[in-house]
Amino acid sequence: MEEDLPYNVQLVTQLEGHDDRAWHVAWNPARPILASCSADKTVRLYNYRSTTDPDTATAPLEFSLNTTIPTGHAKTVRAVAWSPSGKTLATASFDSNIGIWAQDEDDEEGGGPQGEWECMSLLEGHETECKSIAYSSSGTLLASCSRDKTVWVWEVHPDSDFECMGVLMEHTQDVKCVAWHPHEEVRSILASASYDDTIKLYVDDPSEDWFCFTTLTGHTSTVWSLVFSPDGRYLASGSDDLTIRIWERVQEHRWECVSVLEGHDRSIYSVSWSRGKGEGHLGWLASTGGDGLILVWKISAVPTESGRDKLSHKIISRFPAAHGVSDVNSIVWCPRQGMEDVFATAGDDGAVKVWKIAQSST
Amino acid sequence: MAFSGALTLTDLNDFITPSQACIKPVEQSNPAPVHDPGAALTQIQVDSTGSYYEVSAVGRTDVDAKKLQTAEISLNDCLACSGCITSAESVLITLQSHTEVLNFLESNPILPAAAHRTPVLSIAPQSLASLAAALSSSSARPVGPAEVLARVRAFAIRVLGFEHVFDTTFARHIALLEHAREFSERRSGKGKEKGVAPLPMLASACPGWVCYAEKTHAEMLPFISAAKSPQQVMGTLVKEWMGAKWGRTPDQIYHVTVMPCYDKKLEASREDFCNDTYATRDVDCVITTGELDLLMREKGWDLSAPIPEELSPPSPSLNPLAIPELLAHPGSSSGSYLHSLIAALVASSQTPLTHTVRTLRNSDYEEHTVMDESGATVFRGARCYGFRNLQNLVRKVGREAGLQVGRGAAGRVGALRRARKAGPESEQEKGYDYVEVMACPGGCVNGGGQLRPMLGQEGAALESLPATEDGLEVQAPSAKWGDRAWTKKVEEAYWGAPPTPPPTPPPEVIGLEEREEEKRRRADRLAVELLYEMCSPGQDPPGDAAWDVHMGERADEMRRRLFRTQYRAVEGEVVGLAVKW
Repeated sequence: MEEDLPYNVQLVTQLEGHDDRAWHVAWNPARPILASCSADKTVRLYNYRSTTDPDTATAPLEFSLNTTIPTGHAKTVRAVAWSPSGKTLATASFDSNIGIWAQDEDDEEGGGPQGEWECMSLLEGHETECKSIAYSSSGTLLASCSRDKTVWVWEVHPDSDFECMGVLMEHTQDVKCVAWHPHEEVRSILASASYDDTIKLYVDDPSEDWFCFTTLTGHTSTVWSLVFSPDGRYLASGSDDLTIRIWERVQEHRWECVSVLEGHDRSIYSVSWSRGKGEGHLGWLASTGGDGLILVWKISAVPTESGRDKLSHKIISRFPAAHGVSDVNSIVWCPRQGMEDVFATAGDDGAVKVWKIAQSST
Repeated sequence: MAFSGALTLTDLNDFITPSQACIKPVEQSNPAPVHDPGAALTQIQVDSTGSYYEVSAVGRTDVDAKKLQTAEISLNDCLACSGCITSAESVLITLQSHTEVLNFLESNPILPAAAHRTPVLSIAPQSLASLAAALSSSSARPVGPAEVLARVRAFAIRVLGFEHVFDTTFARHIALLEHAREFSERRSGKGKEKGVAPLPMLASACPGWVCYAEKTHAEMLPFISAAKSPQQVMGTLVKEWMGAKWGRTPDQIYHVTVMPCYDKKLEASREDFCNDTYATRDVDCVITTGELDLLMREKGWDLSAPIPEELSPPSPSLNPLAIPELLAHPGSSSGSYLHSLIAALVASSQTPLTHTVRTLRNSDYEEHTVMDESGATVFRGARCYGFRNLQNLVRKVGREAGLQVGRGAAGRVGALRRARKAGPESEQEKGYDYVEVMACPGGCVNGGGQLRPMLGQEGAALESLPATEDGLEVQAPSAKWGDRAWTKKVEEAYWGAPPTPPPTPPPEVIGLEEREEEKRRRADRLAVELLYEMCSPGQDPPGDAAWDVHMGERADEMRRRLFRTQYRAVEGEVVGLAVKW
């Protein structure tokens, strides 16, 4: 059944250790750390390094456990997010709280990133399970969402302090995912996806009140996952309706669905979009879900006569049963320079896996 | 490892979305009979009338069918439940609605029947403002709260048969006096041995906030003022003080209030405001501004039509107790709790004080500082409205008081860490002494029970949509900005606009115009008189007595019973979904 695809997916390493299903992974944007979280209420941090031989195309990545944070959350840790500086980690838990974690930087302990990860702050407010959490691209805002149907926006203050900037009660059902636009313009755009099948986009008004400026409809079932394209022109959404939709920003505050990607035969739980390697395209979109299948799509913009680009998508790699028979809950590209071809997945089997795509040898 | 160990329904929640179900545990009033091991089990059947019967499982419905008590969920159960806040609405709407008022009035036997209850209506000034704003937006001439009160009174008395109609500003005056008294108690540390409460003191008039704190922030409860809200002071005045004057016991009065807020219905049904001796409540039924509007429409009463009485001051026959009407309390349109404390502080100070206001983020969060000549801070307070600001307030107060705001284990780690980190820097800013907290953005004029702007109709809201500087196109023109403009109009109507007096008077002008000053003195005097009548009968107040007079232990105990209340945390751990399967 293997088609002749230009890239193949290779397992770099399998990271065991969670005692229950692994929900989510997050790559530290500034330091070589990968974080994973699980229903076992812990966060595991892995260090990695690559052998420094630039000539070898297959420089192996070596992962080692740095530490396990017990978190103290009373229930499942559903999501983790790093601040853009890489110094702070946020955890979203089914116990309805958000934990803010940073390393102790006491001088007497030698300083630097050596100290233990400690809970610096606890953000309360959600009434029920917190499902997703995200830092804005400048790191000044943090968003979270919950089964209580709300999306919260927090402003990050010095000394691990937070100020609530908004409680958005727009969705009629469980909110599954929040994502920030990658470019901080005058205003940052926040997106949320819900069990009510819609996606909502928000900005703040001049008095810093957050409001929903548009609702994207089209999916016919739960929208599980959202990711903006690296250039910020597009938004991709993965849904229980087995499709990925790509929405284009056609005006400042208007987004339209321009592509529907099909290829999965179970719920799509996670999508991730990176720049990818090479030129002349909009990057690589990876998707996974209940069918355990990993798909990697190359997204390109084709100029048309009307002057408006037409989006094209092509599967460049696929890998079935990535976590055996288990569901795969998340897939995340590594954001670090030179590692555009590396991504990690977390599955119901409790495993975290790191993968790499490489050009198929002809 | 996926399905090893106990499978917890909670952890499956990512896939299912049960609605917020009511978790009221059904008490079994008929104790289950002890039966022998192996005896047949019972089952429950419902007959054609909807009654529940416990029958034996063998199917013999004819014998031994035991009627079971129907489980009833009252408003109090909803209050005591940590689950929903919103679904309580459907319960309370049916229990306290304008139809309920009509039903009562229709079934109320006419005097001199012994069962006759005296119907009394009390209306909040924010409700008057909402009606005034709606009338003004659709008529050429602006209508003020005084005219609206006169017209509502005429409607309630002539059409509905109410015997007395009041506004709640005099009750608010008393609530403010008691509030100030409690604040000075807390500030002086008096009663600390009884566990009385720390600063900052937080306002207690907003039932939405009180309900939220009881359910999710028990650690805030000691900070919340124990003074009754204006609605509940009004309840006490009507049922106890006026009742005594009219020769009516509390159960012989039916007291209806008109409020800008649905949660006032919840407040009225709190057990603290029930009179067990007479099996009645201080406020029997709460309707919202919108419901009053509906009631008038249904009865064909045109509120926009002027009536002759509104031009002259209310006739003494309508107000034999000479209760001051429409008392203005300058400061905020949500009751001026903060301003009345600051005004009292400034008035009682030997040295001149300066009052400065700083707006944080938006007009719903203001910090007020009072400094003496040397620049030392004498008082720091805040006005904090809306759910979002409320979150920040709870965090701030918890942090300053060194409390653990939170339930999770991670919270303890954080608290430790913070305690260690809190350096001298945190001592620089004096914590708040008082915060006027309201759950609605914009405060009570924007309450959930107020009239909504008529979008698109007669240009009420749409034309005032602000054009944003960067030409942002709002797709769904919104509700939100329309509301904001509308709230501004209600706020203006509240202060008797136009022309608009500044809602927040400049700090130096805490003097009022002559007539208001006179009305206020009358209110102060009447307040002390009724205090003595109710708490220390037979004793005349000394000529110079003010509300915070010390009347002796028994009388002070009585005063506490009449004008204060209490709060309890609602245990939140009964989460129906945390069931281990």
